[in-house]
Amino acid sequence: MQYSEEERAYLWLCACTELDDRTRVSVLRGAGDPAALFEGYPVPGAGKDRRGEAERFLSSLEKKGYFALTLLSEDYPENLKAISDPPLVLYGMGRRELLKERKFCIVGSRRTPAAALAFGKELAKTLSRQFVIVTGLAEGGDSAAIAGAAESGNLISVLPCGLDECYPAAHASLKARIAERGMLLSEYVPGAKVAKYAFFARNRLLAGLADGVFVLSAGKKSGTLITADRAAEYGRDVFALPYNVGVAQGEGCNDLIKKGAYLVTCAEDILSVYGFEEEKGEAASFTEEEERVLAVLKEKGEAHLAEVAEALGMRVFEVSALLSALELKGAAAKAGGNRYAAV
Amino acid sequence: MIAKIVCYTLNGLAGVPVEVETDVNKGIPAYDMVGLPDTAVKESKERVRSALKNSGFQFPVGKITVNLAPADLKKEGASYDLAVAVSLLKASEQLVGAATEDYVFLGELALSGDLRPISGLLPILISAKGHGFSRFIIPAANAPEARFLSGAEIYPAETLTEVVRHLSGILRLVPLETAQYAPHPSSGGGADLKFVKGQPVARRALEIAVAGGHNLLMVGPPGTGKTMLARCLPTIMPDLTFAEALEITKIHSVAGILGEEGVVTERPFRTPHHTATTVSMCGGGNTRVHPGEISLAHGGVLFLDELPEYKRSTLEALRQPLEDGVITVARAGGAFTYPARFMLCASMNPCPCGNYGSANKTCTCTPAEIRAYRKKISGPLLDRIDLQVEVDNVAYDDLTSPEMCESSASVKARVEAVRAIERNRFEGSAIHTNAEMGEREIALYCKLDREGDSILRAAFERLDLSARARARIIKVARTVADLDASEYILPRHVFEAVSYRTYDKMG
Repeated sequence: MQYSEEERAYLWLCACTELDDRTRVSVLRGAGDPAALFEGYPVPGAGKDRRGEAERFLSSLEKKGYFALTLLSEDYPENLKAISDPPLVLYGMGRRELLKERKFCIVGSRRTPAAALAFGKELAKTLSRQFVIVTGLAEGGDSAAIAGAAESGNLISVLPCGLDECYPAAHASLKARIAERGMLLSEYVPGAKVAKYAFFARNRLLAGLADGVFVLSAGKKSGTLITADRAAEYGRDVFALPYNVGVAQGEGCNDLIKKGAYLVTCAEDILSVYGFEEEKGEAASFTEEEERVLAVLKEKGEAHLAEVAEALGMRVFEVSALLSALELKGAAAKAGGNRYAAV
Repeated sequence: MIAKIVCYTLNGLAGVPVEVETDVNKGIPAYDMVGLPDTAVKESKERVRSALKNSGFQFPVGKITVNLAPADLKKEGASYDLAVAVSLLKASEQLVGAATEDYVFLGELALSGDLRPISGLLPILISAKGHGFSRFIIPAANAPEARFLSGAEIYPAETLTEVVRHLSGILRLVPLETAQYAPHPSSGGGADLKFVKGQPVARRALEIAVAGGHNLLMVGPPGTGKTMLARCLPTIMPDLTFAEALEITKIHSVAGILGEEGVVTERPFRTPHHTATTVSMCGGGNTRVHPGEISLAHGGVLFLDELPEYKRSTLEALRQPLEDGVITVARAGGAFTYPARFMLCASMNPCPCGNYGSANKTCTCTPAEIRAYRKKISGPLLDRIDLQVEVDNVAYDDLTSPEMCESSASVKARVEAVRAIERNRFEGSAIHTNAEMGEREIALYCKLDREGDSILRAAFERLDLSARARARIIKVARTVADLDASEYILPRHVFEAVSYRTYDKMG
């Protein structure tokens, strides 16, 4: 990875000194040209061998396969530059070219109903043909978005910690897969541990990077709503999945819709806002029996296996085979307790 | 004079002959017992002394040496009492002219001279018969289990006096009549599927599990009837054949838990509590190696309620017997092999609070808690459980279809039909059920057409299944096809088999 003299100096200031960002900004302003930092411009608490420190830091990044980009870098996302407090430096791993693409953010709480997860996955898959999907690394909504977009690799996962950390730890293999197919991004120096405040800060990046934010699920006080708030603040479009009254995991979504977020029931609802047409994937074909099962599911919303069987006059195990088939075709989702929902 | 009497001890399920040699010499009165007797055997001295006296015989005065041969085998328990008493009588010439050579003497003595029952009698009789012995004297209380052995003269006796009269020809004992084994369906302690309300998915899984010999995991909130469903398993399993019954009886006899009937006629249903130790589960013990719960469940069901609560090491110990159908317990005193071909049925809650996936209650667990809970069950163990079903808490009041309250008897009829197909299929091999198929048999009997193959491929991608899960799914699909009386595995069978991988999907 090639870094210009200015970038090196900039990175040195951000990674090798223990200042806060505000001081760093005022130092940079004072110095005018960042390269002046290497020429002995006074920086509080800085060592002598500034160039050497920068070199060592960069080679340590290189070794781990990470790259860094600063506000000066040519491919620093324009969207992010426009927010009030853009990170001075971003660390990334994976396909750097994704930064230039149009981005769309999908987030959801960790407790997302099964049917919504399946919907989120399909949506991410569809949208990833037009957008790079931006999300986190948590269970639930984030994982659904990752699962949908991983195939195309148009995926950026933003971490609230250094790139070499993994939270939740159980997603280590998922994280490795994203680094391979898509891209990992963080504003924290490698090695930085997860901290509570970091999630708030990370959520501003999710909103800042993307053209729009889709909220798959959010309880009344879900952290997901912070992302939506930031998005509104930054002038991004906010989209939300509607929920039934009384479903705790969806109260936040419904509130968003009340406040004016777009109501989303299909990918078309999002794509049309940006002037795209939905590229229909190969439509799955269903057998006659599968169609009948689907019709019952759609009519009932979420239904128990036995209810479907009763409605169709079929044996329960016949229906469970059909539902299994529909599940594999992505047309139905298991909702727990032997209940299924159409997607 | 020296008297030699034959008696038997057990090594695992195999009987080992033990010769009791007794010599009475002139000298300072003493009573020595040699040949690695344990405390219970040594204490037989006092029992035998009183029993002889109270039966009207004389305890010989002199230097008495009792040797239990072979001398290097540890002798345990009280089953040598009768043999020691008879040999003492013979050595002290109170039993002159009686033929004792071709008899095997088994039994514990009471102080009054009464004979007490011993454990493990049936396996001893079977092995001794194999070794060429044909005449046995046993405690009358053991008669029920002995009467199923044909081709041997078995004399049940109440007291030592009766034994002596029999040997000296004064009053012959009446030999035991061989009883015919009559299988009868398991009563299951009153459990029957017709009392289970609804749960069509679990019902079907039970049927497939029993038909193909698959292991089963039921996942569901507390109070949804998982235990009740499990209790119905023996009621839909095929009746025991005589060979099976004898095998199970042997194990139960060794463990000393044989009922009054004398032979096990119902399939065992064992429910060890989750505090069970690895030793109690697999067998072992300090002085005597006992069969564990998995051996006691041989031929029947081992039900583990609240699976994640069991100790991890205990569960992991089940893996090898689940594959091999036997367990070999190695101790300093030797290795003991017990059969352990059981059907594993386990139940668990979907999450620590139990409401995950519930229709009307909210789960309060965090994903990390759920993950920690499920992690308690290792992948390799789960891989050995072919069927995973959800048991839900739906009220089935409105549903009227007949399959909601089918009785055990009619399910059993279908199971027996599939078992007949399997017997045909695996004739001449060591395999009994579809679940036991290896790679070779799968290739032979479970051909998938192109469509079925592509379904499996899709399932793999979607469910992120392990390679072992593939073989499991195919085997379940084979059983589903058998239930459908279909020679070929059709796509719908594969789909149904895939639907029983609930747990993989939940993960």
